[in-house]
Amino acid sequence: MHDTMLNYGRFRYFWIMLVLLFGSLAAYIWHFPIGRPNGGSWLGYTLGTIGALLIVWLMLLGIRKRRYASRVGSVRGWTSAHVYLGTSLILVTLLHSGFQFGWNIHTLCFVLMLLVIFSGFFGVFAYLRYPALMTTNRQNTTRDQMLEEISELDKSALTLADQVDRSIHDVVLRSVQRTKLGGNFWAQLTAKDRSGEAVLKLRQAVLSHKPNQPEKKASGGQTLVMMVDFIGQTANDQQAESLRRLLDVMCRKQSLATRVARDIQLSALMEIWLFIHVPLSFGLLATLIAHVFSVFFYW
Amino acid sequence: MKWLIRRVIKKGKGTLQYEEDIHYGEELDIGRGADQAILVTDVRVALEHVRVRAISGGKKYRIESQIAAGVRINGHIEQTATVGTGAYLELGNIRVTLIEPPAGYEAAVEVAPVDKSEQNARLEAERLPNTLLETGLSKRRPSWLLFAFFLLIGLIIPLLTHYIPAMGKSLRGTPLSTAAWESGELAAPHHYFGQDCTQCHEQGFVSAKDDKCLTCHERTQAHADPKLYANFELADADCAYCHRDHNGVDGLILTNQSLCSDCHADIKHRTNNVSKLAKVSDFGNDHPQFSVNLPAWDAAGKFAPTRVSMDSKLVENSGLKYPHDKHLGAIDGLNSPRGKQILTCESCHLPEVGGARMAAIDFETHCQDCHRLTFDRLAGDRQVRHANVPEVLAQLQEYYAKRALDGDYEEAAAPSVVRRRRIPGAAAAAISADEKRVALDWARNKANLVTRTLFEGKACGVCHTVQALPASDEGMLRFDVKPVRVAGAWYGKSEFTHAQHQSGSTLQGGGKLDCASCHAAALSKTSANVLIPDIANCRSCHAGEGAKGLLASTCIDCHGFHQTPYPLKLRTELRAAKPAPPVTAAKPTIKAAP
Repeated sequence: MHDTMLNYGRFRYFWIMLVLLFGSLAAYIWHFPIGRPNGGSWLGYTLGTIGALLIVWLMLLGIRKRRYASRVGSVRGWTSAHVYLGTSLILVTLLHSGFQFGWNIHTLCFVLMLLVIFSGFFGVFAYLRYPALMTTNRQNTTRDQMLEEISELDKSALTLADQVDRSIHDVVLRSVQRTKLGGNFWAQLTAKDRSGEAVLKLRQAVLSHKPNQPEKKASGGQTLVMMVDFIGQTANDQQAESLRRLLDVMCRKQSLATRVARDIQLSALMEIWLFIHVPLSFGLLATLIAHVFSVFFYW
Repeated sequence: MKWLIRRVIKKGKGTLQYEEDIHYGEELDIGRGADQAILVTDVRVALEHVRVRAISGGKKYRIESQIAAGVRINGHIEQTATVGTGAYLELGNIRVTLIEPPAGYEAAVEVAPVDKSEQNARLEAERLPNTLLETGLSKRRPSWLLFAFFLLIGLIIPLLTHYIPAMGKSLRGTPLSTAAWESGELAAPHHYFGQDCTQCHEQGFVSAKDDKCLTCHERTQAHADPKLYANFELADADCAYCHRDHNGVDGLILTNQSLCSDCHADIKHRTNNVSKLAKVSDFGNDHPQFSVNLPAWDAAGKFAPTRVSMDSKLVENSGLKYPHDKHLGAIDGLNSPRGKQILTCESCHLPEVGGARMAAIDFETHCQDCHRLTFDRLAGDRQVRHANVPEVLAQLQEYYAKRALDGDYEEAAAPSVVRRRRIPGAAAAAISADEKRVALDWARNKANLVTRTLFEGKACGVCHTVQALPASDEGMLRFDVKPVRVAGAWYGKSEFTHAQHQSGSTLQGGGKLDCASCHAAALSKTSANVLIPDIANCRSCHAGEGAKGLLASTCIDCHGFHQTPYPLKLRTELRAAKPAPPVTAAKPTIKAAP
C-alpha cells in the first residue's frame, strides 16, 4: 500500500483520534452534570476548549504547508493529523453542546464547522483518488505537451483541408478557432466534450465511402456534416485521401482535447473544495470567536 | 476607387521600410488566393477570407468575412463590421490596419507582419483559463469577507446592542441583537421580559446576580436563617447555582439530588455543627426515618404537637376513642338509624379543596348520623348540641324547666304537677307557687341526672375522655372533656399530597394503589395507633435519583427549598453589607451555566 495522508506513521493520528473520541464519550457517559448536559458544565468547558484549540490548530495547516523550511513535523504528518483530528471534532463538539441546538450563534458555529469538515472530506477523497486518475489520463505526457500537440495538429488539419477544398478549409478553420479548452470554473469542472464521439462515427462513414445518411448528419457537428456532404457529393480520390487523413488528424485532436479537458477537470476538482473549505473555515473562526466571547460575556 | 496599400517591412534591428501599392476597385479582398488584393500565405487564412469596402470617402470601412469562420477585427472574431480608421484586422501572420487615406486616395490600409512572439502572446491572451485560480476564483478574499461578515453579525453588532440602549431597543428580538447569543430557550415565566438580555445580564463577563432575581422574586424565602448560616457555603451560593436558565421552558427548577446532597450528606461538618439535621444523601438508601407530629399540649393547655421519629414507639394521643376496625370491618354494614351502612375511608376522609391535605372530620357531618346526642326517650328527636359543655348544661336546664312548668311529662317518677296535663283555658291550668317550686326542683334534678347520663354514660364517653369536676358554687355540674386534636400536618418538613397518589396506579406487587396500601386502618383497634406510613412504606415505590425499578425521586419531590420564615432578601442584604465571609467548606465546583 502506498503512503497516503491516511496511513501516515502507521495510522498514528487515526489511533489518536480514536483515543480522543472514546475518551470524550466515556467522560460524557460518566459525567452527571447538574441539569441537562450542556457546554457550561466542567466537561462542557473541557470539550469546548479542546474543540476550539483544535479548530485553531487545524487552521494552522494553511500556514505550515507554506513554510517549506519548517521542521515542525512533515506536511504529510500535519495533513494526516488535520484529517483525523478534524473528523473527531464532530463528536467532540456534539458532546460539548450536550446535543442542544437552537437558532443562535452557537449552533451556527457548529453548522459552519460541519460544512468545513464535510468539504474537507471531499478533499480527502479528491487527494486519494484523482492523482491516479490524472496520471492515467495524461498517458506519460504533460498538459503543456498535449496542448502543443493540439496546436501542431491544428496546423496539419488546416494544411490537409486546404488540399481538399476551400469549403472544408473554412470549416476546419472555424473548428480550430472554436476549440477552446478550459473556461470558467463551471466549464472546467464539467468538461463536457462529445465531438470526439461524432468524429469517430463519421470517420467510419468516410472510410467505407458510403453515402451520407440523414441520421448521421443529425448526430455530427457542423464541421463533420460538411465533410460527409463533400465525400458523398464531390470527392475525387486525392481529395478523399486527404480527407481521410484530415479526419484522422481531427480524431487525434479530439481525443487529445478530451484528455486535456479531463485533465483540467481533475485539477479543478482537486482544488475546488478548497475554495469552500478555506473561506468557510475563516467564517467559522469568526463565529467561534463570537461564540466563546458571547458565552463568557453573558456568563 | 483608389486604395493605398502600405506594406511595412521589418528590416532587422528595429528599422522599418515601407512599400506602397495602389489598388483600384470598390473592394479590397484579402486572402490566400492568388487573385486577392492582399495576399496572405498563412494556412490559417482562407483563399478568399475577407472583403473591405470604404464608405463615407474613407472615413469608415465596411468589413465582410467571406467565410463562416469570420475574421478577427480589433481582437474579436466578427462576420461583418463597420469600423472607423484605426481599426485593424488580424489574418494569420499579418495585421491590416485601416488608415486615413492620404491626399489623392479614397481609402488606405497598412499591412504589417505579426512576428512569432506577438502571435504567441496573442494566443496566450486568448487562451481560456485552465486552472481555477486563473478564473479569478480566490480563497483569500472570500475568507476575509466571511470572517468579517460573521464577526460583524455574530459579535460586533450584538455587542453594540448591549451597550447602546437605543440600538438594543430597535434590534430587540432580531438575530442581530444579543438574542443570537442565547444559549437555550428561557424558562417560560422569563419569556415575560426575556427579549431584553440586560434585564438579567447587566454587566459583561459577570454572571446574573441575585439582586436581579429579587427584583421580581421579592418575597422568596431563604433556605435557612441567613444570620446563622452566614459563614457557610449556603450564603455563598447564588440563585443561579440551582436555577440555571436557558435550559428550556421548564428547565429552571432542577431536581438533581446532588444540589441538596452536596451539603446535606455531611451537613454537620459543612456547618461546623450549627445544623442539627440528620445526614441525608439519597431517599432510597440514605435518608433518616420519618418523624411525625403527634398531638400534645403544653402545660398551659396550648396545642403543641411534638415531633417524634417513627422508629420510636408511637402513641397517638388525639383525645378521641376511635377504633377504625369497628367502623370499617363490618362487611355487611353497620346498623344505623337509616339502616345498614357500609363505611369506607372516603365516608369520612376526603381531601380538602386543593388536594393537599384531608379535610377535618367533623362530628355533625361524619358521626352524628349514628352517634345521636339524644337525651330523653320522651322526646326521641331532640339532641343536645355537640362540643359545648356549658351550653349543653344550660340547654338541659332550660328544657326540663319548661317541661316541668308545661306539665304533661309522663314519667312515673315525676311529681304530679309535672305529670299533670294543663288544659288550655281551664282554671286547673294554673299552678300554685308551691307547685312551681316543686316542678322546678324536679327539673333541676332531672337535668342534672340527664347531664350525668350523657357525659358519664353512653353518649360523650363513647368517644371522649370525660372527667366529672366538682360542681360550681352555683351548683352547676362541671365536666372536663379531653380536647380532641390530630396534628393536622403529620409530616412537618415535607409536602405530601394525596392528589398525586389517587390515580389508581398498579402496584408492582399486584393490586392498585389505594388507601389501604399506606394506611392499615382496617386492622387498627384503637386510636392510639398512628396510621401514617413510615419511610419503609414510601420506599416500596420510591427510591433516590438513580433508582432502578422504582420511582426515581429526588429531594425536591417532597421537600421545598425556600421554606423558612427568613426572606431571601435578608441574605442578599447581609452579603452586600460586608465582604464575603471566608468559606469554610469546599466551594461549589460548577458555576452557573452561562
